[in-house]
Amino acid sequence: MKKMVLASVSVAVLLFTGCSQKNPDVDMTTKNQKIEKVSDANQNGSNSSSMTSNNMDANTMAQQKENAMKSLISDLEQKLQPVYFDFDKYSIKDSMKPVVQNDSNLLNGDKAQKLSIKIEGNCDEWGTDEYNYALGLKRAKTVKDELSAEGVNANRMMIISYGKSNPTCTEHTKACWAKNRRADFKLLP
Amino acid sequence: MSKKIVLILMLSLSLFAYDATVEIVKKIDSLPRIAIQDASDTGVNLNLRKKFYKILLGDLRVSANFKPLDEYLQSSYDGGVGENFLSKKNVDLILRFKLETDGKSLLAHVKLITASTGDVKNETNYKLPNLNRFPFLAHRIIVNVNDLIGAPSIKWMEQFVIFSKLIGKKESEIVVSDYTLSFQRVVVKGGLNLFPQWANATQDQFYYSSYNGYRPTLYKVDLSNGQRTKILSSNGMLVCSDVSKDGRKLLLTMAPNDQTDIYLYNVVDKQLRRITKYPGIDVSGKFIDNDKRMVFISDRLGYPNIFAKDLNGDTSVEQMVYHGKNNSSVSANGNYIVYSSRENSSEFGRNVFNLYLISTNTDYIRQLTANGKNLYPRFAEDEDTILFIKEYKNQSSLGIIRLSANKSFLFPLKVGKIQSIDW
Repeated sequence: MKKMVLASVSVAVLLFTGCSQKNPDVDMTTKNQKIEKVSDANQNGSNSSSMTSNNMDANTMAQQKENAMKSLISDLEQKLQPVYFDFDKYSIKDSMKPVVQNDSNLLNGDKAQKLSIKIEGNCDEWGTDEYNYALGLKRAKTVKDELSAEGVNANRMMIISYGKSNPTCTEHTKACWAKNRRADFKLLP
Repeated sequence: MSKKIVLILMLSLSLFAYDATVEIVKKIDSLPRIAIQDASDTGVNLNLRKKFYKILLGDLRVSANFKPLDEYLQSSYDGGVGENFLSKKNVDLILRFKLETDGKSLLAHVKLITASTGDVKNETNYKLPNLNRFPFLAHRIIVNVNDLIGAPSIKWMEQFVIFSKLIGKKESEIVVSDYTLSFQRVVVKGGLNLFPQWANATQDQFYYSSYNGYRPTLYKVDLSNGQRTKILSSNGMLVCSDVSKDGRKLLLTMAPNDQTDIYLYNVVDKQLRRITKYPGIDVSGKFIDNDKRMVFISDRLGYPNIFAKDLNGDTSVEQMVYHGKNNSSVSANGNYIVYSSRENSSEFGRNVFNLYLISTNTDYIRQLTANGKNLYPRFAEDEDTILFIKEYKNQSSLGIIRLSANKSFLFPLKVGKIQSIDW
């Protein structure tokens, strides 16, 4: 009887290939960056062998200029203060208005005039995925509009949101969340 | 007379058609009791065998179509009298598996046995070329066993989950996994890569946003060959929120002029059409009603809430939810909409986010969770199953809700902070 039962059992051999095509290994960002770096290095290497003294002076001057720019950017970025927001809000509260005024004064200064301004909107860990990014962008936009009203050329400014992916504080406390609800600045040559 | 009876019967049937927003509180408990037996040779790694057993057990439980015996049993593959009947265990079915591996591939011999008679109902052999993917093989076995007893399909168990996890400041990875997160593979790394979204039903392509260049850029990745194609870029933010069933249309959240709005993008003719024009926040467009309408999140009432809108150019907007003061996450499948709502006040504390289910066809609201922070709800392909992330008492879990069975299951989440998830 047992043999009969076993004989009637259909034995299906299933080649399980349901996920064999999921063979990602995608690391394109890193790969592309590496390729770019390698090509830069090769270019520098080939130039150096035929470099004249004039070229060297020009390179030195360019390097000095670049260093001066970096120093200016670093100095200004340290002086610029983040603009903080209330929970789930993107309007500038009264206590932050002097901060925006101070930032606009710095950005309207002679040395800063040649720099572009990237305003980054950020959020706390509350709220979810897309809405958080939109909220961060609104915060950046509010600061951009306020700076524009204070005379900063709107064409110098661009905005971006990082949602909750760029926290300055990672503790789960109210004080920490308040620090992450902010718009801050990056300066570009 | 007989026509009238037939008509009354038909009306009664339509009245009692299944509606997932209505909670079933009483159900006759007649689920088959099933035991799992490991018949692998002792030479096969015990750790692998036990992991395999645990996934089978979890799948049986999550299917909500079985009552599994929570005991790791070993047996021979042919089985003796004591092994084939298990009379003391009081079970209806026996699922017996025997694993064989050469360290690279995996072979699983599987029998389903009727415990009352000792008869083998079915025997199937599965061959998996890549041993690391064994969780998918376990899911496939349970899907097949479920089909064998004629239970409602649980094919969704074989779906791939894709998520972005934050690993540092402005740094994240995109990972493909099974629904229990037992199998994980990083598919995009380096910089800030966000909002992955499957591009088609076969799940061999996906979209994601790269925040590594001057502007956020949307890419499509083909997993079969690793090829990445740029779709478009935008100032401010760019997210692919949903893909139509035929894969031809995308709902995007973009801010080309610093203003977040929802756009409809046609993948074939590359036409982009702005759908919302409200000066506040409009995000998270999800196709509903045969892809002719969308639900979305907007702060047009002063707080994030759920609205619906036709995609044909009609400017009218319908408010879908009338409770809660922060309904900021939504997912849709067909006529069903699931959303996360922050409760104003709750006995469980202030920061409670609960999931609710509504339908575009009825006015019912069904509450799906009761405590903790329940976020990122996502429907499976069968609209009876919802995946979500739960944070409760400093523990994060991946949750599965089976609507028709009125059950939910939690899997410990050990992947760090999830930014966005799709399946």
